[in-house]
Amino acid sequence: MLGFHHRKGRWTRRLLAGAAALALAGPASAEEIRLLISQSPWLDAFIAMVDEYEDQSDNTIALDVTPFGGMVEKTRNSLRADSGSYDLLALNSAALAEFYAGGFLQPLDAIEPGLTVPENVLTFGDSTHWSAEKKAFDPAGQLLGLPINGNVQVLYYRKDLYEAKGLKAPETWEELEANTKALKDDKTYGFVTRGAKDSILYNFTPYLFSNGGAFFKDPANGDYSVVLNNAQGLEALETYMRLAKESGVENPGAVAQAELIQLLATGRAAQAIGVIAAYASLNDPSNSIVAGKIGTALIPAKAGESHSSAAGHWMASIPRNVPAEKQAAALHFLKWFVTRDAQIDYVAAGGVPVRSDLADAFEGDETFDFLPAFSANAAVSQMNMPLVEGIELKDVISLELNRALIGEISAKDALNSAAQKANDVLVKAGYTVTPPGQL
Amino acid sequence: MRHAMKKRFHPGNLVAWGYALLILGPMVWILSNSFKRQIDILMGTSFAPMTLVNYKQLLFSRQSDFLENLANSGIVAVISTVIVLAIATLAAFTIVRLQPPKWAVWLLLGWALVFHMLPTLTFVGSWYVMYSNAGLHGTYTALILTQVVHNLPTTLFLMVGFIMAIPNELVQAARLDGCSYGQVFARIVLPLSFGGMAAAGALAFISAWSDFAIALNLSSRHTMTAPVAIATFAQEHEVRYGAMAAASVVSMIPALVLILFGQRYVIRGLMAGAVK
Amino acid sequence: MQTTSTGRRNAVWRIGSLLPAALLLVVLSIYPVFNLIGLSLSEVHWADGQSASTFVGLDNYRTVFADQPVYWAGVRNTIVFAVLAVTFQMLLGFCMALSVQNLKGVPRAILTAIFLLPIVIPPIVIGAMWRLLLGRDFGMVNALLQAVGLPAVDFLGNPNIALFSVIGVDVWHWTPFVFLLLLTGLESLDQEVFDAARFDVTSGWQRLRYITLPLMLPTIIITLGLRLILSFKVFDEIYLLTGGGPGTSTEVINFSIYRTFFAQDNTGLGAAMSVLTLGAVAVLIVVVNGLVRLRRRREAKA
Repeated sequence: MLGFHHRKGRWTRRLLAGAAALALAGPASAEEIRLLISQSPWLDAFIAMVDEYEDQSDNTIALDVTPFGGMVEKTRNSLRADSGSYDLLALNSAALAEFYAGGFLQPLDAIEPGLTVPENVLTFGDSTHWSAEKKAFDPAGQLLGLPINGNVQVLYYRKDLYEAKGLKAPETWEELEANTKALKDDKTYGFVTRGAKDSILYNFTPYLFSNGGAFFKDPANGDYSVVLNNAQGLEALETYMRLAKESGVENPGAVAQAELIQLLATGRAAQAIGVIAAYASLNDPSNSIVAGKIGTALIPAKAGESHSSAAGHWMASIPRNVPAEKQAAALHFLKWFVTRDAQIDYVAAGGVPVRSDLADAFEGDETFDFLPAFSANAAVSQMNMPLVEGIELKDVISLELNRALIGEISAKDALNSAAQKANDVLVKAGYTVTPPGQL
Repeated sequence: MRHAMKKRFHPGNLVAWGYALLILGPMVWILSNSFKRQIDILMGTSFAPMTLVNYKQLLFSRQSDFLENLANSGIVAVISTVIVLAIATLAAFTIVRLQPPKWAVWLLLGWALVFHMLPTLTFVGSWYVMYSNAGLHGTYTALILTQVVHNLPTTLFLMVGFIMAIPNELVQAARLDGCSYGQVFARIVLPLSFGGMAAAGALAFISAWSDFAIALNLSSRHTMTAPVAIATFAQEHEVRYGAMAAASVVSMIPALVLILFGQRYVIRGLMAGAVK
Repeated sequence: MQTTSTGRRNAVWRIGSLLPAALLLVVLSIYPVFNLIGLSLSEVHWADGQSASTFVGLDNYRTVFADQPVYWAGVRNTIVFAVLAVTFQMLLGFCMALSVQNLKGVPRAILTAIFLLPIVIPPIVIGAMWRLLLGRDFGMVNALLQAVGLPAVDFLGNPNIALFSVIGVDVWHWTPFVFLLLLTGLESLDQEVFDAARFDVTSGWQRLRYITLPLMLPTIIITLGLRLILSFKVFDEIYLLTGGGPGTSTEVINFSIYRTFFAQDNTGLGAAMSVLTLGAVAVLIVVVNGLVRLRRRREAKA
């Protein structure tokens, strides 16, 4: 486990963090903050932060550690009840829009008037705010949450294999393809495509955006007309399928997140686009035989287009159905958690930060080499399905993409079919959209 | 005659021991996984350095209350099994032998069947609301009651089947002797249905012990059960196989003990029943 | 001749013995089931922290028939799954029960304990564990196959065999259930019938066919019925093993309901699917029941 390596200046920082906490101090009453959070590799780091917070504040935090598969159910139950069981909820970005749109959450600036997202805290595609009229993540809307774990996709590669073959981190998709071909051999997969039905959309998103394509026309302003099946989308999907073929993996349509990490950790894969949250595990000798050999980079883009990554972070929000004192205490913790000093401790303990200004604090320390790539990807991360019907849309689009990947239908047919079905879902849900054309 | 029986069941014996091997294989694999690091499990290495880190994390870490979770599982499973067996056996005897009105039987069994066939996950939301409004959210009462009603249809049908196998002559003879229904039940039916109760009880116990959907929604931090705790190892990005294996090993032990303990009850009951 | 006090005690007994079961079912199952039916006839939106429910009649049911190809793929898969899995479970379980019946003491205790292991493990562990065992690159099963010279098989990634892999895991998981019930049934058979038939029936096969099976019929039918219903409710294995994929090859009804009712939060559609499935199974039971009765009547006449 990525332990407490960074002892230098740790106690100084603790004092500073304590001072920061006092500076942010709100009402002095001691509250027990009930927090719903999922079991995960970064939970240990989070608990270390909870301990640190409890040292410096009268509040205590009661953690309800829940299996990931049960998070949405328990969140829904608590939010929909008359009186909530939790004062602070960890919301995964995949289900974020549902909870934002449902009106369950207390705007943070209603608890503390004038509050804005602190500088240098990442918003991961403006997902801290929501506009009920536009039904979209709108920075001009209500502030409904602050991130507590920044999980974005990055490009992973084997530093040792790159060195052996004289390669460097690719800037464009062509360069990535060239690297893949150079690295593939009998025992190594040049690249791993995460094409299983439940994860293919998340994996495909950076390809789409960084080829100049998109799912919707203007989601920031609430125009969800489907534009997936245009020329850029086709090029993106074809690049995706080509990479999958050249990688050497026989059945990419069955590779999910767990298999991707397994292939990297066991040394069978040379490159992959995966979540940064796996970095700690890949660098841990008891979890991986390539510890110390994993490099991270910004996800490539088509020449001339802007880079993009997919956001899979965790947001923390405060529900309306709990007493005001609990809400205030929860906000107190959140504000402390996103301060720079607290975040530095969080990274040192093995968490993935939610700020963009931490790279210099860990300069020279190899264990935290991922920070520059993380910041670069986080800055361009986008939410792929930023609307309430996101999960349903993800299901219909993923099915078609998966079928194209396993060779059941052509890329063109897949995109057309996906666009049409997505359009049907949106029309049924009452959105005003322009129907997609045909490729 | 003994010889004939032995010769006859040879192919059956092969199946039995073969299947036992098929079960033991993966079990031994889980046991060995519980002592391995994640990477060794992922690589499929047979002989890897043993480590106790999985067990340490399971039993002694700050975020894990696994022993408490096990105890909760035990409490909920044992109490709900006892209750459901009592209710189901009582009702089954009446249904089979005491000629209640036909409409009542059809209603009870039919409704139980309908309830049994619908997916549990569609009900947990309603139960959550009901218990929250009654102030019972996260209590043992809520968990136990729900497990009882969840296992009631199966146990009821099973006990109806087992009691049907008890010859009616015995019941009639006792009635002619002037016994009340209660006495017939206690002296004739109950002893003869121990075997059936053991089987139905084992299945109800296992269902309550390994249930996930109900426990996830209706338990709180302090009443969380073992399956929910084990499920936390199936995480967002990967499965922590070592920790999951350790948790499974630890949780199998009490379950097996409780079942084997109940098994001796079967033998005793069957012996008693044989001396009719 | 009953004294009035016995008569009254009996009346109390008749009602009192049925009351707990009925009460429990009424209190805890009526609201959820009717709520589900109500949900199937409406559409629910959450806004401003409150739910707003609109009555849409049979719209959800129409959607299931018109617009849910994944659901119908699931129906086909579920039927294949139920038939194959339950058949194997019954056959294997019966063989095992027959052989264990003749054992005594230690071998019997050991075997029974071993057989109970698969159903004692939480389903989620079974799913996670078999996923690892059947994995293409590092799974133990493939390692064993390759050790004897056979090629590796993509058990969970090949759309053509994924469903059968899942069926295999399910059979592994639930045969002990059948074994337990059939063993209990066998143990409770009246030994006198066997002794009396000793002179007419000479071979083991004959004894099995003419005595054991007919006597075991009630137990077998109940076990079969329970297993069939439970296999229609299969979820945990699919969830962790394949997630319904690849494509739709391991999609089953309960999984579609899970995705719709819960993941997509489309409670109306999910409820409609549940009710429809219930209706279909109920019709099936009535039909089978009718056929069995017809056959019995014909046999009685003959």
